[in-house]
Amino acid sequence: MATTTATITLTSSDLLSDSLSLSSTATLYDAGTTTGLTQYDMGKVDIPGDNNIYVLLDSTAAGVDKANRVYVANKNTNDAHYVIILINETVIGRLYAGDWMFIPWSQSDAAANLEVRAPSELNTIEYAFFHEGRTFTGA
Amino acid sequence: MATTTATITLTSSDIADNSISISNTATLTKAGSATGLDQTSGLRRRTLSGTPATTKLIDLDYYQDQVLTENRAAKVYIKNTGTSTAQYVKVSMRTGTSDAAEEIGWLYGGDWMLFPYAAVWQEAAHVNNQDIDIIASNTDSVTLEYMVLYE
Repeated sequence: MATTTATITLTSSDLLSDSLSLSSTATLYDAGTTTGLTQYDMGKVDIPGDNNIYVLLDSTAAGVDKANRVYVANKNTNDAHYVIILINETVIGRLYAGDWMFIPWSQSDAAANLEVRAPSELNTIEYAFFHEGRTFTGA
Repeated sequence: MATTTATITLTSSDIADNSISISNTATLTKAGSATGLDQTSGLRRRTLSGTPATTKLIDLDYYQDQVLTENRAAKVYIKNTGTSTAQYVKVSMRTGTSDAAEEIGWLYGGDWMLFPYAAVWQEAAHVNNQDIDIIASNTDSVTLEYMVLYE
């Protein structure tokens, strides 16, 4: 098994009247076990700014109801640029230039794809997908 | 303006032949600008126990009073503070049709998530809101910590 950890540090000295400093580390396990996730995919892609919905990660039978984790970062630098993150065409939120996200993705069914849509500008995103397996399609 | 940063570090020395090390820091700003997000729910705790039932973790009716502007650059942080690797909390988002919700993922003990949040509010009846629902996988008590940062 592999040991993969994800740590978040959230800080601000002036959002509140007292400093905010939050840190948490998760070890990425297979669903319901203490066995570390052993598979991953990583990539960097340009999302066309044509307002179409594209599948970034395809939900497959092998991933349904598993402990998959997804990291996505928008590498654009223009503050006005963003990609919309969706699951099965349900909008989750807007990932603006410089932002990142990290979520568990349970792939509740075969339609629960992780999707992206860039309304007007090309956005370059990086992603990492840690998982228990995916179903391959035949040649 | 406030300056709030979120840093992620993803590391593994043995998931592959070569180590993985991803680190990224985001400064949390308002939509389309370099001005920092300046509103927050603060860090909150919610404990679930007993027979699992769908529970509203983030109720947009409540936040509408504070003007959580929809379709902007809001962020949501949620952590399962438990230690069980068998129990999880399912996190879903209302989809705008009846009481249906789209499942995002399962947070096991120790897991956390940070994601952008469109927070679209349509009606007090909730059926078209992007409220965030949670449900525990069993009757054991489990506590979540969460925070919303918004405009």
